[in-house]
Amino acid sequence: MGIVKGDQMVLNIGPQHPSTHGVLRLKVVTDGEIVSDIEPIIGYLHRCFEKHCENSTYEQVIPFTDRCDYIASMNNNFGYVVAMEKLMEIKVPDRVEYIRIIMAELNRIASHLLALGVYGLDVGAFTPFLYMFRDRERILDIFELTCGARLLYNYMWVGGVSHDLPVGFVETVYGFLDYFEPKLKEYNEILTYNKIFIERTADVGVLPPEVAISYGVSGPNLRGSGVKWDLRKDEPYSIYDRFDFDVPVGEGTVGTTGDCWDRFYVRMLEMIESAKILRQALKDLPQDGDVHQAIPKKIRPPKGSIYQRTESPRGDLAYYIISDGSPQPYRLKMRSPAFTALSVLNEISRGWMLSDVIAILGSLDIVLGEIDR
Amino acid sequence: MTDNLEKLIKEAVEKALEGDMDAINNIEDRVTRSKAKAALVKAKREVAKVETEASPDEDSNDSFDSKEDKTTNEHIAELLIQQFSDDINKELSSQDHIQIQSKNWLVISTYLRDDPACLFDSLQCITGVDLGEESDLEVRYNLHSMTHRHAVEIRISCPRNKAKVPSVESIWRIGDWFERETYDMYGIEFEGHRDLTRILLPEDWEGWPLRKDYEVQETYHGIVVPKVKDGWE
Repeated sequence: MGIVKGDQMVLNIGPQHPSTHGVLRLKVVTDGEIVSDIEPIIGYLHRCFEKHCENSTYEQVIPFTDRCDYIASMNNNFGYVVAMEKLMEIKVPDRVEYIRIIMAELNRIASHLLALGVYGLDVGAFTPFLYMFRDRERILDIFELTCGARLLYNYMWVGGVSHDLPVGFVETVYGFLDYFEPKLKEYNEILTYNKIFIERTADVGVLPPEVAISYGVSGPNLRGSGVKWDLRKDEPYSIYDRFDFDVPVGEGTVGTTGDCWDRFYVRMLEMIESAKILRQALKDLPQDGDVHQAIPKKIRPPKGSIYQRTESPRGDLAYYIISDGSPQPYRLKMRSPAFTALSVLNEISRGWMLSDVIAILGSLDIVLGEIDR
Repeated sequence: MTDNLEKLIKEAVEKALEGDMDAINNIEDRVTRSKAKAALVKAKREVAKVETEASPDEDSNDSFDSKEDKTTNEHIAELLIQQFSDDINKELSSQDHIQIQSKNWLVISTYLRDDPACLFDSLQCITGVDLGEESDLEVRYNLHSMTHRHAVEIRISCPRNKAKVPSVESIWRIGDWFERETYDMYGIEFEGHRDLTRILLPEDWEGWPLRKDYEVQETYHGIVVPKVKDGWE
């Protein structure tokens, strides 16, 4: 942050503020109501994830990953177990793969519902938030049915999952999808094409693709800028290559490509794609197979390192794991997609009004637990 | 088991030296095959040393050319060796990473971003590693190209007591925060960074927590820090 000039003022937002989505502090230099510089101050939620991992066994790391991105715990588990299985060269049964895909996509819908609902709240629309939380609740009920937990699941284990699916699971998820798909139309009516919402978000905080790439922005934020990049499609891990789905990108429907509305709408479209994947996965789900069969008795990966990326609801979630052959990781680094998304905030909010900064920050869909780790 | 493998590799290398590359290419196991190829390169180098008139450059190129399953790392390493031969540590590089010296890193990173064959426009991750209490620190860069859709890993090691690496903040903008995080945890100084301050920890924190020889402070702001228990209970 440079020198503050005479007619400028430093405004402090946070650390406790509803629109910062967690404990984030923004030091904003304003000139009247125009923002000239923002310095995000992070670290309030730092829980020494990486240091803890070095002192835990590989199994004990999984609950920690839950707590990093607590909105999409399943996807965080998924990224870690995919990396570990690649390092240890474990082949998991088909049924486990399908169960994981179902859980990951359900969690993606739940995460996007929260992101979109809270985004509405940020720009002043209260009702859509209630609608979306009502529907997110159904997904949490499905998770509770499966593993007993509603938020931090510890569900995916290296080589398998903790519990097999309960009786009637498939019917429950079909029931949810039948209920959920028509609701998307409702969301569009109440929020997406709402005139006030479009006024607040269209043309605001445009993120050009080359800036996004240079800042390492990924996931829906990058796709909102019109870059067709999805690890599920471009570098398929697990069994994502077996499913037929599209990668929606921002097209500047109501404004410029890469504005807040595009980032919002990409998430809306992604929920449709997730529902598509879910239907295919439920149809092909193998009926038999022991979900505990491939779980190793002792997790001692061979010496070496691995960098494995997966597509979490927030973008490229990667784990860099270095093993020295002992039961504890020598080094475990988590590349957090929200960390890179927050770093671009200063670049795209300069010159906008203070109220627009809240809209831009909300559209990036950050989770502070994952940024601070 | 390992004896058998070594024998197999030895035989294949001998045949290949006589001109029969199929002996190596027909090995089914990928790991064994690459081991055999590495052994072949080594053997050829020794041959080259004996016959002083043969040029060593050509030899290593020959052995690489015939490979179809060459990894991106090996391919990029070859390009870099042509340009910055002194800065690449060939012995420590392997098929999954390129080990380079820190001195010219800024020039090399510019080359990696702008050269039409590389075009690594995205810095995916910077990972700091402590190689042990007595040895060096290391910085690992995972690069990715949106155009060519390929990825490499660059490793730079630096001495523990004088840990300095050139900053790539001006090449990839995300380098700013990633380098601050690595500095925060390992105390590696990124030369040329505009604002190298702690990012996750408070600014008055003492020590570099992810180094293996890190010791917890006894008091923090007058509060006694409880001793860490050994292991889990």
